[in-house]
Amino acid sequence: MKLIIRILLIAALAALGFWLWTVFFPGPERIIRKQLAGLAADISFSQSQSDLVKIAHAQSVAGFFADNVVMNITIPGHDMQTTMGHDEITQAVLTSRQAATGIDLKFPDVNITVAPDKNSATADVTVDATVSGERNAVLQEMKFTFEKTDGKWLIDQVETVQVITP
Amino acid sequence: MPIDTATGQSQPQPHWVRVIAVGRNPTNTLARVAILIGVSFVVFHFILLPIRVDGISMQPTYKSGAVDFVDRLAYAWHEPRRGDVVSVRFAGYHLMLLKRIIGLPGETVAFDRGRVLINGQPLNEPYERRSCNWTLPPKTLGPDEYFIVGDNRTMPWQDHMFGVVERYRIVGKVLF
Repeated sequence: MKLIIRILLIAALAALGFWLWTVFFPGPERIIRKQLAGLAADISFSQSQSDLVKIAHAQSVAGFFADNVVMNITIPGHDMQTTMGHDEITQAVLTSRQAATGIDLKFPDVNITVAPDKNSATADVTVDATVSGERNAVLQEMKFTFEKTDGKWLIDQVETVQVITP
Repeated sequence: MPIDTATGQSQPQPHWVRVIAVGRNPTNTLARVAILIGVSFVVFHFILLPIRVDGISMQPTYKSGAVDFVDRLAYAWHEPRRGDVVSVRFAGYHLMLLKRIIGLPGETVAFDRGRVLINGQPLNEPYERRSCNWTLPPKTLGPDEYFIVGDNRTMPWQDHMFGVVERYRIVGKVLF
């Protein structure tokens, strides 16, 4: 019994040590997950937020992206293949804040593949967006390509993934 | 009162609160709890995925808020069949679509004033209790493609998520 308790204690200590290691020295996957969570939080907004907070969040959205992001968006009734700079991204986010009273954006599933050179990664993401006043949520799979630039993981390509073809 | 076979003396009965909390033999209880957690994890992670229906696209068969399970082993020995209600995944399993298969690989699916036509023949849909007026051109499915649609087709087809999905997107069959 004592031996089992010792083994369990050693296993628990090893798990704690591993967890602390990942907290203090996060790998690319953990950093990218955090980036995506931050992006979703900054794009989301509610009617109760002040205009100042909305603008601040809209401006911080651009910080998640590289300078010239390639956007390949194909959703029913809307096709977009373009390159966007930081100013255009901020403008697009601000426009969305004027068009709707609130957006709740979530990424319930995120699958990250880091390239062997550890300088680029792709994230397959399920997007669940609820616009205030709309009955149905917008569900879409998207692929984000990340590049490590000056030690920061930035999104340099965004594309939609067709799950269901009408 | 239990009797110690080694000494022949009777042992005191553990307090009833302790018996309820950790059982007569805490080691055995701990082992049972560990096994139960392990089995539950395997069953509800890899075999039966618990789901909660959200939305109206499968009404009246499945109402919003209903709880069900997705049987991930349903298609281990045979391919999906017409009429099966399946879950279709996006990037993972936390958020999936719940739809019915109406078209199988290689078939041509069309809608004519609300009637589903498979290879030009009308499909009998006993689960379809509300009439619709969808008319859509024929679509021929590839060798690994299925046509899925919800049971509630009362809304305009533009507002309904339906169409062709690839086999690998089908996670399993809904249990009930």
